[in-house]
Amino acid sequence: MRDRTVLHIEDNEYNRKIVRQLLSRTSYRLLEAADGEEGLAVAQRELPDLILMDVQLPKLSGLDATRLLRADPRTAKIPLVVVTSFALSGDDRRAIDAGASAYLAKPYSPRDLMALIHRFLPEN
Amino acid sequence: MREASATDRAASSVMALISSPLGAPVRAVARIRASVHVKLLAGFLLITLLFIAITAVSLRAVRETARQTDLLDQAQVRVGWSRQIEHALAMQMHFTSMALLAQSEDSVGLILRENNRFNDTLARLETAAPPEERALIQAIRVAQDDAMATVADIANAVRDRRMADAMTALRTRQEPIYQKIETLVGSLVAAEDTRMASLRRSIAAAQARSLRQMAGFAVAAVAVALIAGFVISWSFILPVREFHGFLSQVAEGRFGGSVAVPNRDEFGALAERMNWMSGELRRLDDEQRVAAATLRGLNDRLELASRAKSEFLANMSHELRTPLNAILGFTEIMLDELYGEVPPNLREPLVDIQTNGRHLLRLINDVLDLSKIEAGRLELGVDEYSVQEIVDVVHASLRSLAIEKGLAFSVWVAPDIPPARGDGRRITQCLMNLAGNALKFTRHGRVEIDVRLDEGWLTYRVSDTGIGIPKEEVENIFAEFRQVDTTITREYGGTGLGLSITKRLVEMHGGRIGVESELGRGSRFFFTVPLHADGGPA
Repeated sequence: MRDRTVLHIEDNEYNRKIVRQLLSRTSYRLLEAADGEEGLAVAQRELPDLILMDVQLPKLSGLDATRLLRADPRTAKIPLVVVTSFALSGDDRRAIDAGASAYLAKPYSPRDLMALIHRFLPEN
Repeated sequence: MREASATDRAASSVMALISSPLGAPVRAVARIRASVHVKLLAGFLLITLLFIAITAVSLRAVRETARQTDLLDQAQVRVGWSRQIEHALAMQMHFTSMALLAQSEDSVGLILRENNRFNDTLARLETAAPPEERALIQAIRVAQDDAMATVADIANAVRDRRMADAMTALRTRQEPIYQKIETLVGSLVAAEDTRMASLRRSIAAAQARSLRQMAGFAVAAVAVALIAGFVISWSFILPVREFHGFLSQVAEGRFGGSVAVPNRDEFGALAERMNWMSGELRRLDDEQRVAAATLRGLNDRLELASRAKSEFLANMSHELRTPLNAILGFTEIMLDELYGEVPPNLREPLVDIQTNGRHLLRLINDVLDLSKIEAGRLELGVDEYSVQEIVDVVHASLRSLAIEKGLAFSVWVAPDIPPARGDGRRITQCLMNLAGNALKFTRHGRVEIDVRLDEGWLTYRVSDTGIGIPKEEVENIFAEFRQVDTTITREYGGTGLGLSITKRLVEMHGGRIGVESELGRGSRFFFTVPLHADGGPA
């Protein structure tokens, strides 16, 4: 069985770096995308096992990308965690409405993020 | 509908009146430059004058009738006197005959007495008689004097026993004289009778005439009163009708029209004021429309500005959070030694970075919350929530801090509380703020949370044994950026916005917040919200 694949869609290099660092000691394979369009393309091409989607992305917003992924039968079932700006802003509700499996408010604790990844995608 | 048709009927009757011959005098009266008061007075005066005239005419008729009746009475008296004269004459003749028959002089005395009575009565008659009868009376007097002269002769003859002479004198002289007198008196009586008849006729005629006059005057008075009343009243009713129609227009919001009445009285002045008012209303209406349009424009622009502000805030929220996420994230994974072992001398500064990063995050969150509340952009997500769950979440989140500070931290929720309605997350935020503050400002002792339900109102209470709040600061404690003094901020941290946000959120739930505090002994913060809050606008 191949390593579980996580797709991280996030435009901020430093935040991508944190996740990269977090997953570096695990068996997960990490894919990255820096904007919504790229993220959508990678997801449809690679069919990852878990998607981490930032809400505010260039070119295509995280919520729109989520909707498109949910509309595509190949990616419809992939667990998808939306990283919202602010728990109380209403983004969380919009994320769930768009089809997200869960949401995580930014700034998140890397520990919480790892716990969430493990919940949706137990390591081999 | 019914009212409209009544108005139409009234309008058509007005039109009929204006086109009738009465329309002209009505307009003419309306045009008279005199006050309503004067016009009414003139109308009443006109009618009063007519009645005074009727009274004068009838008084004159009564006086005339009285005068003629007087004349009639006098004539009757004169006829009575004439009859007395006739009687006295008959008595004279009788006594003269008696004197002859009895051959006595005593009868002569009686004759003289009758003669005196005759003369007296004749004298009265003469005084009272109209001039045309004077000649007749004069003739009677001359004849009577003749008769008396003859009586004297007869009396002398009787005294001298010359009975034959006396007889002759009686027959040849006295009797014709008496007959003449009788005839004269008869014609006098006849003349008086004729006069009386004519007087009676003239009285009847005068009465008939005055009756006709009075009837004429009465009819004229009634007619004049009716016409004057009609014309004057319509000269007032017409403008009132006009005003009614005009004011109905104004009431329906059709300003700027005008009302035209021929009146030059108070109604004319009123029409002028109404037209002025109408113009003013039109002007105000126009101004108001312009102002409303301007306001709509401003409102649209404000709406745009407000939306721009909200978008800006949302963007700022994200922009601020993204680097903060990196700062806090890197700090945490460094402290978790994902980059390898942390040298002991670097651990403290790393924790300092983390503490300050978290404080910055709270500040950002609070400022954004408050901005949203201020902009009226914050909406409550009203749903069913469990009070027990909220209290448990707050307890679980803050327990570690309480343990760290060595404080007793307990919670108590009344057992009978059913599921509540409101924004559970915001209520959690409120309780978290109060309990967080309590833990922050308490060095020794305990912090307690308790929730009770009383007649549909939930009271969340947080009691502590902390530093307390000075009395003069209690009022300001819920204002933005208010902490009792700036050294507190340095010692205890906090944004100074928590209580202000909590107050707004509680008020958005339709509740209120309060505090009881004693300096150095502790504080008791509480907020009360309806068990079923609708979350209407604050």
